[in-house]
Amino acid sequence: MPYPPPPRTPSGPRRRTLLASAAGAALLVGCTSGSGDSDSEESTGGSPSVAERARTRAARDSRGIVEHYDAVLAAHPTLTDRLSPLRAEAVRHVEAFGATGSAGATASASESASASASGTGAPTPAVAVPVNEKDALVELATAERVLADARAKALLDMPGELARLLASVAAAGAAHAYLLTEGAK
Amino acid sequence: MSDKEEKRALTALQAALAAEHAAVYGYGVVGGRIREGRRTEARSAYDAHRARRDVLVREVRDLGGKPVAAAAGYALPFPVPDSEAAVRLAAELEDRVAGVYSDLVRAAVGERRTLATEALREAAVRAVRWRGESVAFPGLAERAATATASASATATAAPAPTA
Repeated sequence: MPYPPPPRTPSGPRRRTLLASAAGAALLVGCTSGSGDSDSEESTGGSPSVAERARTRAARDSRGIVEHYDAVLAAHPTLTDRLSPLRAEAVRHVEAFGATGSAGATASASESASASASGTGAPTPAVAVPVNEKDALVELATAERVLADARAKALLDMPGELARLLASVAAAGAAHAYLLTEGAK
Repeated sequence: MSDKEEKRALTALQAALAAEHAAVYGYGVVGGRIREGRRTEARSAYDAHRARRDVLVREVRDLGGKPVAAAAGYALPFPVPDSEAAVRLAAELEDRVAGVYSDLVRAAVGERRTLATEALREAAVRAVRWRGESVAFPGLAERAATATASASATATAAPAPTA
């Protein structure tokens, strides 16, 4: 007697739907930027080149935040447990903006590689870290908050899917700022 | 906005409104179980969600829609017998609300998109306050899957209408 087909878990279809829509969105951006065609999704918010530049900018901004974490961690290793999870999320932000960009996976790989390389490699002289731990955290929180505010404005001119991602990452930045200042009290 | 865009915005607004109805109900439960020390925080979150709900009702009407009503009752995602569970429920409520607002960001333009962006941010910060830790992509269930494999669970974990 043949085995009955495996039962489908209730969460299966929903998960697939979510993944499918995410993949579709990535494909959409990729095709649009490659061919120069303007489909309805892209044309609602801005031209592909505007969106493309915004992605590059967003990846660079998040890389700047990662470097800021690295600088604080280099100056205050005692903060490692506290900052590592937040830094890891900032790295994921860099990847998210890179992975669906024009150059695709290669860009994302090199971007995340450079992001993590700057973590383990040379110190980043770009960010001067206060000797006082609390001040260092406040500065980092301010950097997160300022970037989140800027993104909240910038996303108004972006196509829908990119605006959604930017809004989420901005919200994450605001949440980071909260966690950083909460502990700096 | 084109008709199609308006329709998309209206659908997302209604989804956000339904989630805010559920959040208001859920925070009623949270308020009854949460310990004294965090009651003020729960109260202000409750008020914030009521205010958002009222704004959404107006937005739906502005687009010529009939605002979805609150359900008569909601099934909680898990039992809430004590303060610890109440805190977990509050965090879940914020996750759910963040999800609908990220969709509204995508569907809306202009002031409505700004409203959604701010609401998403507030929900994300409140979720972090309740939970004590952050997530990389608040409101994006599809990106939560890689981290915890619980995206679908989270997406459905909010109070579900029972009537």
